[in-house]
Amino acid sequence: MTLESVIFSVLAASAVGSALLVVTRRNPVMSALYLIVNFFCLAGLYLTLHAQFIAIIQILVYAGAIMVLFVFVIMLLNLGDERKLSDGVSWKKIVAAGFCAALLMEFVYILIYSEPSPAVMSASMATEIGTVEYIGSQLFTKFLFPFEITSLILTAAIVGAIVLAKRKLD
Amino acid sequence: MSLNIADFVSSSPLMAVTATALLLILVEASRKGRPGLSFTLSMAGLFAASVFAVVNYSDEQIVFFGMLRQGWYANFLNLVFLSAAMLTVLVSKPYLERQGAHRGEYYILILFATIGMMFMAGANDLIVVFLGIELMSLCLYVLAGFFRTKDTSNESALKYFLLGAFATGFLLYGITLIYGTAGTTNLEAISKNLPTLSSQWMFMVGVGLLLTAFAFKVAAVPFHMWAPDVYEGAPTTVTAFMSTGAKAAAFATFVLLFHQVFQFTGSKVNDLIAYIAAASMVLGNVIAIAQANIKRMLAYSSIAHAGYMLSGIAAGNSEGQTGILFYLVAYTLMNVGAFGIVGLMEKVDDQNLQLDDYTGLSQQRPFLAALMAIFMFSLAGVPPFAGFFGKYYVFLSAVKADMTWLAVVGVMTSLVSAYYYLRIVVLMYFRDGKGDVAAQPAIPALVAVTSSAILLLQFGIFPSFIVNAVQKLF
Amino acid sequence: MTSFAPYIVFLPFIGFLVLGLFGSRIKSEKLIGIIGSGVVGVSFAIAMAIFVQMVGEEPHARKHVVELFTWISAFTGTASSIHVVVAYQVDQLSILMTLIVTGVGFLIHVYSIGYMHGDAGFWRFFAYLNLFIFAMLNLVLADNFLLMFLGWEGVGLCSYLLIGFWYDRKFDVGGYAAGTATTNDAARKAFIVNRIGDFGFILAMLLIFHTFGSLRFDSVFNGAELMSIGNQAAFWITLLLFVGATGKSAQIPLFVWLPDAMAGPTPVSALIHAATMVTAGVYMVARCSILFALAPTTLQVVAIIGALTAIVAASIGLVQNDIKKILAYSTVSQLGYMFLALGVAAFSAGIFHLTTHAFFKALLFLGSGAVIHAMHDEQDIQKMGGLKKYLPTTYKTFLIGAIAIAGIFPFAGFFSKDEILWKAFSSEHGSVVMWAIGVIGAGLTAFYMFRLVILTFEGTFRFGEEVHPHEAPKTMTVPLIILAFLSLVGGFIGVPKSFFGNNMIEHWLAPVFEPASTKLLLIEEGVHATEYVLMALSLGIAAAGIYGAWKVYTKRPDIAESLRNKYTKVYSLLLNKYFVDEVYDKTVVGPTVKLSEKLLWKGFDVAVIDGALNGMASLVSVTALWFRKIQTGIAQTYAVVFVGGIVFVLAWLILK
Repeated sequence: MTLESVIFSVLAASAVGSALLVVTRRNPVMSALYLIVNFFCLAGLYLTLHAQFIAIIQILVYAGAIMVLFVFVIMLLNLGDERKLSDGVSWKKIVAAGFCAALLMEFVYILIYSEPSPAVMSASMATEIGTVEYIGSQLFTKFLFPFEITSLILTAAIVGAIVLAKRKLD
Repeated sequence: MSLNIADFVSSSPLMAVTATALLLILVEASRKGRPGLSFTLSMAGLFAASVFAVVNYSDEQIVFFGMLRQGWYANFLNLVFLSAAMLTVLVSKPYLERQGAHRGEYYILILFATIGMMFMAGANDLIVVFLGIELMSLCLYVLAGFFRTKDTSNESALKYFLLGAFATGFLLYGITLIYGTAGTTNLEAISKNLPTLSSQWMFMVGVGLLLTAFAFKVAAVPFHMWAPDVYEGAPTTVTAFMSTGAKAAAFATFVLLFHQVFQFTGSKVNDLIAYIAAASMVLGNVIAIAQANIKRMLAYSSIAHAGYMLSGIAAGNSEGQTGILFYLVAYTLMNVGAFGIVGLMEKVDDQNLQLDDYTGLSQQRPFLAALMAIFMFSLAGVPPFAGFFGKYYVFLSAVKADMTWLAVVGVMTSLVSAYYYLRIVVLMYFRDGKGDVAAQPAIPALVAVTSSAILLLQFGIFPSFIVNAVQKLF
Repeated sequence: MTSFAPYIVFLPFIGFLVLGLFGSRIKSEKLIGIIGSGVVGVSFAIAMAIFVQMVGEEPHARKHVVELFTWISAFTGTASSIHVVVAYQVDQLSILMTLIVTGVGFLIHVYSIGYMHGDAGFWRFFAYLNLFIFAMLNLVLADNFLLMFLGWEGVGLCSYLLIGFWYDRKFDVGGYAAGTATTNDAARKAFIVNRIGDFGFILAMLLIFHTFGSLRFDSVFNGAELMSIGNQAAFWITLLLFVGATGKSAQIPLFVWLPDAMAGPTPVSALIHAATMVTAGVYMVARCSILFALAPTTLQVVAIIGALTAIVAASIGLVQNDIKKILAYSTVSQLGYMFLALGVAAFSAGIFHLTTHAFFKALLFLGSGAVIHAMHDEQDIQKMGGLKKYLPTTYKTFLIGAIAIAGIFPFAGFFSKDEILWKAFSSEHGSVVMWAIGVIGAGLTAFYMFRLVILTFEGTFRFGEEVHPHEAPKTMTVPLIILAFLSLVGGFIGVPKSFFGNNMIEHWLAPVFEPASTKLLLIEEGVHATEYVLMALSLGIAAAGIYGAWKVYTKRPDIAESLRNKYTKVYSLLLNKYFVDEVYDKTVVGPTVKLSEKLLWKGFDVAVIDGALNGMASLVSVTALWFRKIQTGIAQTYAVVFVGGIVFVLAWLILK
C-alpha cells in the first residue's frame, strides 16, 4: 500500500462516515458541522488529485462562507431537534433502502467488472490541470462562454431571491 | 484564440434576449411599479430575437470556442422557445393582473428561462447543456412559486426544486462519467470517438444517467411523479410555459444528444427509450381519464405527449427527428393555447379549474369554446390539426425503425386519449351551463390563443412548411 | 371537364364557410336554405357533366387524376420518401359515389329546409351538412389513403356534431339506464366506437406505407397486382382496413352506435346514417378490392361478418317500436348484405346495392321524418296508426320504399339484393349457408318493414285528440317523390342477363375491379337455370314476410301478442338487442374506467409507487393517522420512484 492510497482510504472513509452522520443526526447544527467535516475530506481528496485550486475553493467557499451561513440561519431560526414524522420502519423506507442498495450494487458491479478505461490524459497534464494558472487561462479563453453563463445564472438567482423573499409586495 | 464579431452575429437571437433581460432588470430597478412597460419591452425583445432567428436560419457553425453550435437546428428550436415565451407573456399579463400579482420580475424570469432553453438547444458542450438546464430550471422554480401567498404555489415550487435538484445530481454524475471516459465534454469530440467509447461500461452508465435526467425533465414515466403536482400548483401561465418551452428544451437536448451525438440506433439504449415511451403513453393517457381538475388532466396528458415524442427518439432515424421537431411545434401551440384558456377561465383562489366548470361554455363564450375545441381536437390528434401530423410522423418513424409495437401502443393510447379530450368538448357544447362561467376577455390573451389556433390549422393543412424547414439542411 | 372535379369538392366547403361565418347574421331561412342546398346542387351538376363526358370515353380511359398541390413532401430521395399530393381521382367508382353523395345529398338538403323550419340552429345545421358533404367527397374522390383518411375522420366529426345537434334532448342510448342519457351521449358513443375503427384504419395505413412505400392508390394497387394471393402483409392490411370498415359501416361487433345515432335530426339520419357515411366502409373495401383479393381469408371474414350482421340486425328490427330505430337496424342489416357481396368477391354487386339502398333508405328515413314531423316528435309506432288518411303522399312514397327494400320485382331492391344472393350462392367464395342466411334475412326484412308500414299508416288511430297530423310542405314531399321514383326504377341500371338486361352497372364498374377479378380468376358466368329457382324462392319468402306482417298486424293482432307471451325470453333478447350494449358495458367500458380509476391512478400512481407500499403497510395494520400522512404528494416518495427508475435503467444497460 502506497502512502497515496492510505491517505485516499482514510479521507474517503471519513467522507462517507461524515456524510452518513449528516443525514442521521437529529440536531440540525450537528448535521451542519458534519457537513463541514465532509467538505474538508473532499478538499483533501482533491489535493491528492493535484487539484489545488478546487481544494482551496472548496474550503473557502463551501466550508467557509456557505456553511457559516447555514449555521447562522439554523441558529437564528432556533430549530430544535428534528421531529419524527413517522415511527419505526415503514415499507417506504425499506423500498427506498432496497433501491439505494441496488443502485450501489450496480455501481460496484460496474467498477469491478468493467475494463479499466484507457487513460485520457498524460501524467504531466494531470498535474498541470489543477493549478490556478491553468484554470485561470482556461476560464478566460476556452471556457469563457460557460463562465459568462454562470454570471447569468447568478443574476437570475438574485432576481428569483428578490421575488421570493422581498418583504413587501407592490 | 479570440472572439470575433461573427460569433455574436450568428448567436444574435441569444444576445437579443439576454440584452432584453438585462435591460429589464435596469428598468425594474429604476421605474418601480410599472410592469406594463416590462411587458412591452419583453415582447419587443422576444420578437426581435425571433427575427434574428429567422435571418440566421442557415448552415451550422461552431462559435465561442466550440461551446455553441448555431444554425438551423438551434434557430428552429429558438423559434419554438421564443413563440412559447411570447404566447406565455401575452396570456400572462391579464392573468397576473387578475390574480393581483402583476410584477415586472415575472417577465425577467421568463426571459432568463428562455435564454437557458436557447443554450440547451444550441449547445456543443456538455457544460453548456448543464448550465442551460440550470438557468432554465432556476427561473422555473421561482416562477412556480410566484404566487407567494398561495400554499399550492409554494408547494409546487418546493417540490419542483427538491426533485429538480435530485435530478441535477444524476445529470452531473452522468456528465462526469462521460468526461472521465472521453476526456472531454465537447459533443463533437465525443461523437467522433463514439465507437471506442460505447464499448466502455462507464461511458454507457454516464449515458444512462443523462437519459434519466432528461426523462425527468420531459416528465416521462417513471420519472414523471413531480409533473402533476407541480403543474397543478404553479400559476397557470407558468404551467403553460413549463409544459411547452421547458419540455421543448429538454427534447431539443434529447435529440441533440441521442440523435446527433450518441448514435445508438437499434441498440439496447433505444429499446430502453422505447419502453419509457410506451410506459409514458399508457400511464399518462389512462390516468388522465380519471382526473377532475383540468390542470391535472393536462399534466397527465403532457406525460403522454412526452411518450409520443420519445418514440421518435427511440426510433433514432431521420423521420423520428423530423417527427419530434414537428411535434414540438404543434405541442407548444396547442398546449399554450389550452393552458391560456384555462388561465382565462380561472378565477382568484383557484376557482373554475374543474372540468365541470367548462359546462356550457359554448353558450356564454362561443369563441373561447371553439378555440378550446380546436386545441382539444389537436391534442387528441384529429386531422386536420397539426397534432395529427406530429403523431403521424413519430409513429411512422417507429414503424420504419422496426418498432411497430411502439406505434401500435401509440395509436391505441391516443385512441384512449380521445376520450378525455373529447369530454371537454362535450361539456362545452352539449351540456347546458350552470350560468356562472365567466371567462374574462382580455385582448393580449385572446391574440395569443387565437394565433395558436390559426397556426395549428395552418400547420395541419400545410405540414410541408415545417417539414421542409426541418429538412432543408440535412 | 374532369379538371372541374375539385370544384365538386370545394363548393360545399365554401357553403360551409359562408354559413359558418355569416350564418348567424342571415335572418332569412330561405336564403340559408338556398345557399346550403345550392352549393350541393351545383356540385351535383358538375359531377353529372363529368359523368356524361366519361360515358363517351373508352372504358379504360375513364380514370382521371387531378392534382392540386403537394401536401406533404418529406425525406425526398431517401428510401422512405413520403410524397403526398392533394389530388382527386375521378374514375367509374368514385364518380358513382359522388353522384350519390351530391344527388341524394341535394335532395336531403332541400328536404331539410322544410324539416328544420323554425329551429334556432337552422344555419348551424346547414353549415354542418355542407361540411359533411365536403368531407364525404374528400373520402370518395381522394387519390391516396391519407386524404381518404382525412375525409374519413371528417365525416366522423360531422356525424358527431350532428347526432348531438339537439344536445339537450333526452334520448335512450343503449348501455345507459332508461331516461338518463341525452343525445350527446349518443354522439359520444358514436364517436368513440368509430375511433376504434379508425385505429384499424391508421394501423392499416402505416402498414401499407411500410409495405408499398407509398400511400397513393395507384402505386399501392399496382404494387399489389404483382403480389401473390395469400400474402401475409396483405392479410394484415386488409384485416385492419376491415376493422376500420366495421366501425364506420356499423358491422358486428361495432354496430352498436348506429341505432343510437338516430338521436340526430331525421335528415341527418337519412344522409349520414343511411345513404352516405355508413357506406364509406363498403366503398373503401371496394376501392381496395385488389388488396382484398390477395387475402382470401379476410374476404371470408368479411363475408361471414356481413351475413351475420344482416340477420342479427334484421332480427332485432322485428320487435323495435321506435320508427327510426327500426330503420336504423334495417340499415345495419342492409350494410351487412353489401359486405356479404364484397366478401364473396362480388364487388360490383355490393356497390350496386349501395346505390339502390341510398335511394330507398333515404326515402324511408325522410318519410319517417315527415311522419315524426306530422306527429309532433312522436316516434313510437305503437302510438300511431291510420296515418295514410292524413299523409297521402308520404304514405305512397313510403310504401314504395318498403316494397323496394323488401325486394319485390321490379323495384330497385329486388335486382340488387338478388344479385348479392345469387353471388353468395354461386361464387366459389360463397356458400349455400350464406345464401340461406341472406334469404332468411330478406324474409325478416319484408316482415319488419311491413309491420312498420301497417302500424304507422294502416288501421285505427292510436293517438290522442290533441294531435292533428298534417301533410308535410312541398320542400319535403318533392324530394320524397323523386326518391320514390328512383327507388322504383333504380334497379334497372343492374338488370342481370337472366332478365335479358346487360347489367350496366357491372360493366361500368368492371375496369375498376378488373385487377381483383383477374387475381381471383373470376369468370363471367352465363345464364343459369338455378338462378331462376333461387330468385323465385327469395321472392316467395319476401312475399311471405309481407303477407305475414299483413296477417298479424291487420287481421290477427292476437298472434303477435301470443307469440310474445309464448317466447318471452326470445322477445326480450331481441328487444334488448341481444344485450350487446350491456355486455360491452360490463366487459369493456366499465372495466376500463375502473382500471383507470382504481388500478392505474389510485393503484399505480398512488400504490405501486407510493402506496403499494401504503397498501401493504395497511396490511401490517398501521393506524389510520399514519396512513393519512403517507398520502401521495410527498416528494420523498417521488424521489424513491426516481431512484427505482435509475436502478432499472442501469440494470438494463448492464444486463442486456
